[in-house]
Amino acid sequence: MRKAALALALVAASLVVLPACKRASPAPKPNPLRQAYGTQQDWNNPGHLFPLDYQQTQGKRIFYEKCVWCHADSTPAGPSNRSNLNPTPPLINDGATLNPLSDAYLENVITLGGAAMGKSAIMPPWGRTLTQEDIRALVAYIRAVAQPPYQRPAQPGPRYSTR
Amino acid sequence: MAAEDMGKVSKRLRIAFAISSVIFLAVLAVSPVKDYLSEWRHYQNGYAQFAESRPDTKTLLADFHVGINQIWVPKMGVVDRCTTCHLGITQASLNDSSVPEPYRAHSYIPHHVEDWGCVVCHRGQGRATEVSEAHETTLAWERPILPISDIQASCGVCHRADIPETPRLNHGRELLTKFNCVGCHHLEGIERPAMLGPDLTNVGTKVSRAWIYKWLNEPRTLTDAQGNVTVDGVVTGNEPRMPKFNLDEKELRGLSAYLSSLQSHPPEPYKINPAVVAKWQKNPDTVQRGELRFRQMFCSDCHALAMVRAGTTELIGGDIGPELTKVGSKVKPDWLISWLRDPQAYLPNAIMPRYHWSDEDLYTVSQYLTTRLTDPDLLSDVPKLGPAPQDEIALGKRLFVEKGCSSCHVIEGVPVQKDFGPDLSGLGSKTVSELYFGNAKIPHTLVSYIEAKISDPHSVNPAARMPQYHLTQADLDDITTALLSMNGGAKRLEVADLTVPQKHPEFHPAGEFGKLYDRYKCSVCHRFNGYGGTLAPDLSYEGSRAQRQWIINFLKNPGTLRPTLTVRMPQFNMTDEEAGTIADYLKTAMQSPDVDLSSVSAKDFTPQMAALGKQLYEVKYQCQSCHTIGSAGGYVGPALTNVANWMTPAWIEAWLKNPQALDPQAIEPRRDFTPQEIQAMTAYLLTLKQARPAGASGGAR
Repeated sequence: MRKAALALALVAASLVVLPACKRASPAPKPNPLRQAYGTQQDWNNPGHLFPLDYQQTQGKRIFYEKCVWCHADSTPAGPSNRSNLNPTPPLINDGATLNPLSDAYLENVITLGGAAMGKSAIMPPWGRTLTQEDIRALVAYIRAVAQPPYQRPAQPGPRYSTR
Repeated sequence: MAAEDMGKVSKRLRIAFAISSVIFLAVLAVSPVKDYLSEWRHYQNGYAQFAESRPDTKTLLADFHVGINQIWVPKMGVVDRCTTCHLGITQASLNDSSVPEPYRAHSYIPHHVEDWGCVVCHRGQGRATEVSEAHETTLAWERPILPISDIQASCGVCHRADIPETPRLNHGRELLTKFNCVGCHHLEGIERPAMLGPDLTNVGTKVSRAWIYKWLNEPRTLTDAQGNVTVDGVVTGNEPRMPKFNLDEKELRGLSAYLSSLQSHPPEPYKINPAVVAKWQKNPDTVQRGELRFRQMFCSDCHALAMVRAGTTELIGGDIGPELTKVGSKVKPDWLISWLRDPQAYLPNAIMPRYHWSDEDLYTVSQYLTTRLTDPDLLSDVPKLGPAPQDEIALGKRLFVEKGCSSCHVIEGVPVQKDFGPDLSGLGSKTVSELYFGNAKIPHTLVSYIEAKISDPHSVNPAARMPQYHLTQADLDDITTALLSMNGGAKRLEVADLTVPQKHPEFHPAGEFGKLYDRYKCSVCHRFNGYGGTLAPDLSYEGSRAQRQWIINFLKNPGTLRPTLTVRMPQFNMTDEEAGTIADYLKTAMQSPDVDLSSVSAKDFTPQMAALGKQLYEVKYQCQSCHTIGSAGGYVGPALTNVANWMTPAWIEAWLKNPQALDPQAIEPRRDFTPQEIQAMTAYLLTLKQARPAGASGGAR
């Protein structure tokens, strides 16, 4: 009788415990670059790579096609046109200048050009060359490479953890 | 049996029955308990609580219900239950890194998750409802989740032609071509070119046995402990295409003996005019003059040289042709002279153009190459070899086939080997159990297998015949991505009908122009209707853009239009007749359908228009930010100093209307100019002429 009860308890216990015997999944190594669609070298620190998602990677491509000539100090073709211009355009990673500007403002100044936004006419309007999607991607890229890093305006509501 | 005995038995039976009933009930109860405690329920409860904590709770919970969610796309065989836990995947407000996984929204991509599911791109087991089974390799499932850094491989499964959205994949495919992987492996979508390595039929006339020995032992490349690649002692990112094979002393002797014996058709020796030789032989400036001509002819567009810049030695120059820092210690002087005159006589598929050499240039440049670009210590570590004995030649001949040399190098009479290495066209869809890991201490996944095989083939299989490449981590990642995209025809994913095929447009014009096109190898640098190199401007619409006389002047004396570019068109020393033939062909055959040359004439423009145009150019649109006129202006666009002699009026108007219609890659933005503004600016540009004859400083871009 006692034996039977013991066996019963054993079976019941094993039924409860068994599902927990599954191999615990190993914690994945946190390598943000492994989880990034693309990367961008930090101009201020060549050893550092920014992880980029899909949209930011498209922004990077468009930046290196159209914008790099005036918003960088070195270009794929050699010297930059930046030093040639007055007023001097900000570097694309210049967080101190660009972080305070809203996404909407950046989208507008790219789309409509400097003159339309009360800035210098040397910044041309890109709205007829790039799509709205391209311009959003550019803004996403600007945010990703900003130094000091860009902080999105705080969202209401407490942070939440799943575990 | 006694009655009480019967009672005992039935009592025992009853107890047994009771126990088994309890066990049975317990077993039955396990299933709902298990279900209740399931991982996905935990995540769903978590999501509901998380949504409560957000300001947009209503939107976040609009489609939420407890249960398994599933995306079903029958035509692709997709049954994905990933959205059971990844509940916020389509919620725009959750696209932020502060949102905890698995609730974060998918970052923006052009394909919608409802239409495609998840595993088509991410791999993993879509039907699974447990975290580890969905993501990892299990006994029943061997296609684990792909790291996001390799996700472009999934784009490449359908998009066989390069698309701009996948830079890593495109670069990986480029590297597979550049390193001649198709020499030994069958690779999906990468064709065998006409020439992989050089034809070695006459290599004995070009280099010595000692040099071959050295090259086979250490193909110019050394890699230090940090993984830095040096070529001829200079650190570079551009590795020579010839990789390092692991050959022992006997094999090196055999192969060098065999190859140096290959001299069946020595090139015709060219005798430089003795008067020229006599004039320059004793001249102390010969080498200097040769170096100057080497630079003036823009040999560095294709060939790199080690140079000291700002205290550090770098390789400067293109990588279309071989690096030449030590070429003087490599090639035989007689061979060099006949090669320079006519590269195709030695290598029928050589991409070096056939220049018109004057004897003076030929003598001084070859003197520069053979006396200045040398290294007396280059062959110092090669043992004394002497003339090649027959048995070593026979061994080398055998090894040439056995080592797979004939996959990339042609020798007359030796059959070309194709597919010497394994077929890799289905590598990307291989399962872990199909791979042989040997003793390699690496994670048993397809990604780490491919990386290990490429970075050190012997670490996986000590008997591997594959040579050693030295790739940077970034290049290694990109090649891995490209190989992961090869899934043997996309049939397994049942998306074969969605595949975008790769196009191979070729441009081989006939006639007189065709001969010149072939002689000067125009397509190595220029693109024609989608075929050719990207180093120089696309010439598909050159007939609409440039005036005939400008083309002739430019071909005779190429200048530079973009002040910052170091790459420039070489001077071929063309005859007037040749330049005329090329200009006529470009003017007739290379036209844009969007430019009607007869629609605009320079006579239509008045000085008033030009004055307005100048105003627009300088003030309203500030074109000088990017274009130079005279000595002032920006570096981005071409200099416009001589544009009136260069471009056709119709082209200028069409360009101002929509640059991307004429050149999709154009940097210049499309503006909202009115027709009057376009006319005025065209009028202004047509006043910009250089006083000197255009040819004297014409322009390349």
